[in-house]
Amino acid sequence: MSEMTVHTQGQLRNGLLDAYTATRRFLIRGTRQLDVVLGSVLIPVIFVVLFGYVFGSSIRIPGGNYRSYLMPGLFAMSILFSSNNVAVAVATDMSEGVVDRFRTLPIARSAIVIGRSLSSFVLGIPVLAVMILCGLAVGWRPEDGLGNAILALLLFELFGFAIGWLGVLVGLVAGGAQAADVIISIPTFLLGFISSVFVDPALMPAWLRVIAYWNPVSAVVTAGRQLFGNTIGPAPAGVWSLDHPIATTLGLALIIIVVVAPICVRLYSHSER
Amino acid sequence: MSAPAISASHLARSFGTTHALVDVSLDVEAGTVCALLGRNGAGKTTTVRILTTLLRANAGHARVAGFDVTEQAPQVRTRIGVTGQTATMDELLTGAENLETIGRFCHLGAANSRRRAAALLEQFDLTAAARQLVKNYSGGMRRRLDLAASLIHDPEVLFLDEPTTGLDPVSRAEMWTSIRTLVAGGTTVLLTTQYLDEADRLADTIVVVDRGLVVAEGTPEQLKASIGRAFIRVTLPEADPATLEKVRRLLGEEAEVSGRSVSAPAPHGLTTLEEVVGQLREQGVTVHEVGLEHPSLDEVFSTVTDHSGHPNVPATSTAGKA
Repeated sequence: MSEMTVHTQGQLRNGLLDAYTATRRFLIRGTRQLDVVLGSVLIPVIFVVLFGYVFGSSIRIPGGNYRSYLMPGLFAMSILFSSNNVAVAVATDMSEGVVDRFRTLPIARSAIVIGRSLSSFVLGIPVLAVMILCGLAVGWRPEDGLGNAILALLLFELFGFAIGWLGVLVGLVAGGAQAADVIISIPTFLLGFISSVFVDPALMPAWLRVIAYWNPVSAVVTAGRQLFGNTIGPAPAGVWSLDHPIATTLGLALIIIVVVAPICVRLYSHSER
Repeated sequence: MSAPAISASHLARSFGTTHALVDVSLDVEAGTVCALLGRNGAGKTTTVRILTTLLRANAGHARVAGFDVTEQAPQVRTRIGVTGQTATMDELLTGAENLETIGRFCHLGAANSRRRAAALLEQFDLTAAARQLVKNYSGGMRRRLDLAASLIHDPEVLFLDEPTTGLDPVSRAEMWTSIRTLVAGGTTVLLTTQYLDEADRLADTIVVVDRGLVVAEGTPEQLKASIGRAFIRVTLPEADPATLEKVRRLLGEEAEVSGRSVSAPAPHGLTTLEEVVGQLREQGVTVHEVGLEHPSLDEVFSTVTDHSGHPNVPATSTAGKA
């Protein structure tokens, strides 16, 4: 009995160690692909210009500046778009010999996908930092104290971690890097635009409105606006999900992680066997 | 004799309607090198992938280092090293970082992984390139790094899937030297190759596979002997017709003249040679050279993998000593 406990403890210890080693490997890779990191920063920055100024100049928000309303939305967009990189990276790994090498090593089966997801989470932090600087430059401010601002950022990071798993999933099922890039773009675009990122969902047709109200992107953006104190713009929608955006974000993120992560581990360890 | 390091029996594997492996059995004794020889698509890589826990067999079973490859995959993985056909090193990491990562995955610990990585880079002549990204490595350097990576945890059994395919002759010779050094250290090796000379030079035993079946196996010498009989060839100083005719008659009915030499089957090998030399001396024939010639492995290979419908040689060679 005690022998078995020792065995399980050893397995857990090795598993954690493997996940750490994998994360470390992907982080080293990440720092050597600055062009990819730059790309994932550049698109949201372009969005700041496009939506903040090009479209934003024509959008009137009751009680304040559209850019203050927009910025929490663009934080979520930048996180959404970094899941493209995860999907492409996982698909690339799967199509190369690296995965075979890993599979013949005595590694915990979950280590590689966990490492991939954790490293994308860590690499997402500087991207979010750039977005915050960008926001500050165009006049956005957190207006509800440092504590709530930090809480908001943590919520965005949790959302990013959940979305990263979707990226891993797409990377595992796509046939190659290019396919992964195309496939992941569909949910990221749909989730990004059918949401409260740019406009008030209340004005959308009914069927789109339902999607927008229960979209995790809307939840995290609404939570962000609340915690940053950017409470300008449309009145509360009167839907439970957006009246309790923090709970909704936590709930949806956890559901995504709990459902998608085990699928990814299974897909990874059973592929080609 | 102890249990074989690799033991596979009746492995089969299909991919859809393609029968990659039909029936492959093989045993490799500990401390020996076995070459799995065959053309592209013969089933070599599928066999290796099953033995290295990467692929499940549809039928049959296999044990590596004493453990079942399906039921005890984790135990097998801690005891094997694998170098695949495709480069498995991360291009964005340096050579040293790649090896250290593999070492950590083998639970050697950070410090130990660094030490092993440095030692292996030294052993494979890669110390100068240790801090370079692998994407700047040449093909030969990548293969050597791959080989080094599969040795980081001192595996009992090493699998090399076409270790020299696509390498230039110099890199190929370097790989051969590296492999021979390993074998001298007692590692059991199963290598796949399409090159006969590679199998001939490196392997103690050869298993020839074709279309998912084992078509011949044995030592290189046994295989050669199972195919063709040895030939005796007598070469004269010059092409003098009278002498040539004398030698031809002496060598028997099947003798053939070509240029200034006469050749004939030598069913009893060295004994035949001794007899012929004695008779030549008795008859006072001056010769330039007399020797025995064995069929090359090339001939063996084309005979056993002959797709023209001729019966193949028996699957197991019965020929005795070389």
